[in-house]
Amino acid sequence: MTWLFFQAVVSGLLLGGVYGLVASGLSLIFGVLRIINFAHGAVMMLAMYTSYWLFVLLGVDPYLSILVTAPLFFALGVVIQRVIIEPNRAAAEHNQLLLTLGVALFLENLALVLWQGDFRTLRVSYSGASFMVGDVLVEVPRLIAAGGAVLVGLGLWGFLRTTDVGKAIRALSEEPEGARLVGIDVARIRGVAFGIGSACVAVAGALITPFFYVAPDVGESFNIMAFVVVVLGGMGNFLGALAGGFIVGLAESLGAAFLPGSLKQLVVFGLFVIVLLFRPEGLFGVRRGR
Amino acid sequence: MSNPPRRRDTHALGRRRFLTSIGAAGAMAALGAPSIGRAQAREVKVGYLLPVTGPLAFEAQLALNGLQLAVDEINGAGGVKSLGGARIVLLPGDTQNKVELGNSEAARLIDQGAVALIGPFSSLVAFSVRQVTEKNKTPFLLLATVADNVLEGGLHYTFRMQPNARAMATLTLGNMSEMAKNSGLAVKRVAIMHEDGNFGTTMGNYVEAFAAKMSYEVVQRVPYNLRSPDFTAELSKVKAARPDLLVISGYYGDSKLIAETAAKLRIGVNALVGLANAAYSNPKFIAENRELTDLLFDGNYWHNPQSARARAVFEAYQKKYNSIMSNHGVQGYQVMFVLRDSLERAGSTDREKVRDAIAKTNLTDHILTQDAIRFDDTGENVNATPALLQVQGGKPVVVGPARFQEAKPVFPVPKWKG
Repeated sequence: MTWLFFQAVVSGLLLGGVYGLVASGLSLIFGVLRIINFAHGAVMMLAMYTSYWLFVLLGVDPYLSILVTAPLFFALGVVIQRVIIEPNRAAAEHNQLLLTLGVALFLENLALVLWQGDFRTLRVSYSGASFMVGDVLVEVPRLIAAGGAVLVGLGLWGFLRTTDVGKAIRALSEEPEGARLVGIDVARIRGVAFGIGSACVAVAGALITPFFYVAPDVGESFNIMAFVVVVLGGMGNFLGALAGGFIVGLAESLGAAFLPGSLKQLVVFGLFVIVLLFRPEGLFGVRRGR
Repeated sequence: MSNPPRRRDTHALGRRRFLTSIGAAGAMAALGAPSIGRAQAREVKVGYLLPVTGPLAFEAQLALNGLQLAVDEINGAGGVKSLGGARIVLLPGDTQNKVELGNSEAARLIDQGAVALIGPFSSLVAFSVRQVTEKNKTPFLLLATVADNVLEGGLHYTFRMQPNARAMATLTLGNMSEMAKNSGLAVKRVAIMHEDGNFGTTMGNYVEAFAAKMSYEVVQRVPYNLRSPDFTAELSKVKAARPDLLVISGYYGDSKLIAETAAKLRIGVNALVGLANAAYSNPKFIAENRELTDLLFDGNYWHNPQSARARAVFEAYQKKYNSIMSNHGVQGYQVMFVLRDSLERAGSTDREKVRDAIAKTNLTDHILTQDAIRFDDTGENVNATPALLQVQGGKPVVVGPARFQEAKPVFPVPKWKG
């Protein structure tokens, strides 16, 4: 039975990487804008369709499509923030939250009009590639997705630590008032943060299209998990979100392997509630004085 | 705050307007040709309730195509003869797969004079709509509605032509075990994976109950969330339990992922068997995944491949819609002919008389894999039988029950045994 354990650990880690990248985008947006972005999954879906069509129409490899989708969805994120969310900064937080929900519903319905509700899958030569380590199955596209997600996540983390824009983003998420006082263009930085968050899901979306399907509601699978991950990792904590992704992936996979029935969901969401109850700042969050 | 409610309002208006204009054109034509006689202008209004927009839009459209094909055929052959050649007119109703819309659309269609309603492509919606139709004493012919309890509670006006969940599960497993016996490989250990909603859970329960009766063991039962992005752990667990058969009751994306992962894990079963599976006998899925789908089984409602009429209907469908008729198209087509048969015998558009005629249905001229279509007191089609299908040469063929067999089954399937 040990292979079952190792298989579950491997699958959990591979999935966790993608969860982590989706969640880091969400976490970044939350950190800077202080709103939960419900449109996150829908943006991911749109990016997946973009990768899908780039492949179907132009034969662009889904991994290469990142070169197009990442900047494109960065721009889209900036536009969404500028045009829809920024004008409502003054409104109550729940209004902004509902606004993102509205954007999500709009995008999903748009996808439904444009591409109907059926599932599309993208067949690349390496879709089915896999190898065995002992008795444990490792699927190549999932390995690439997890590895790519971690690389992008770490790259972004470096960006946040070293560049001026990155520092401004961190400043804004840690001390909004102070950031304004030292002369950071907060409106611009909020746009950039939303853009980076959207680019994150665009990358995640492209990474999973070789082994997943594309459908108008595909983002929801990841959106809900990303919420859990963000809470686990600490709201606004970027590295925490990456680590949280692995924890959720592992919990899900081990739960599926060793617990009866649908209990794996219960494990993940149980974890979510327990963390919220006993450690609301998240596993890796720092307690704020406020 | 998890699943945001999904509502999609897309091309409903377009279609509605389109249908209205068609209807208007028809009326004009009738008015313009008074010599044909007054009776010709008579109409029988039939309402359909389908999620023609929303997440099930694609599949619902296929069922609607079937309905429309039948209506064209009936009208083209002179309408309902006992009603003086009255033409059947379809009144559109869009549920978007939502309970509250199902109710209001049903009420509207009844108000507009529909003699009967057909739909609604979802057990949950059916459960609610039936209260509206019963209260208004309007016949309701269920379409793509599998949950058993939809007909519970002493209904008088609700009928189901297709196999319900119990028939679907037990007859499919029955077919499967008979086939296994014929190949000298008795099935002893069964694993089932099913989505954890009402549909999958019901199927899972029947598989378990039936296994007890047939004295084979359910070695793993794995309910799963249909949005799960990975099934490796679940399938590893199944593999470790060493089943002879893996039965899968799920929707499209999940079923696809399960088959793919099972292949990669070298799951080691005699066969993968879909149970009312949305993917495994779906022509689109098969076309896109030729290698993966080869020799998959699925128990599902289907047409009788031996029937000459079925072949003609498929040709007509191909000509009209330029695609292969799906099993939902077949259901739509056939249920409309059940209604036509009843209207002929009722000789009236009085809902009560139509209901009584439906209840007395004994229709042998049909294209399904079953004996005569007849309804019992609860409204179930007593002879409803799913076909056991296997993908061979890139298309699903009927391998059971024996009297409808199109090709010999390949069992055990070598590639799954791997």
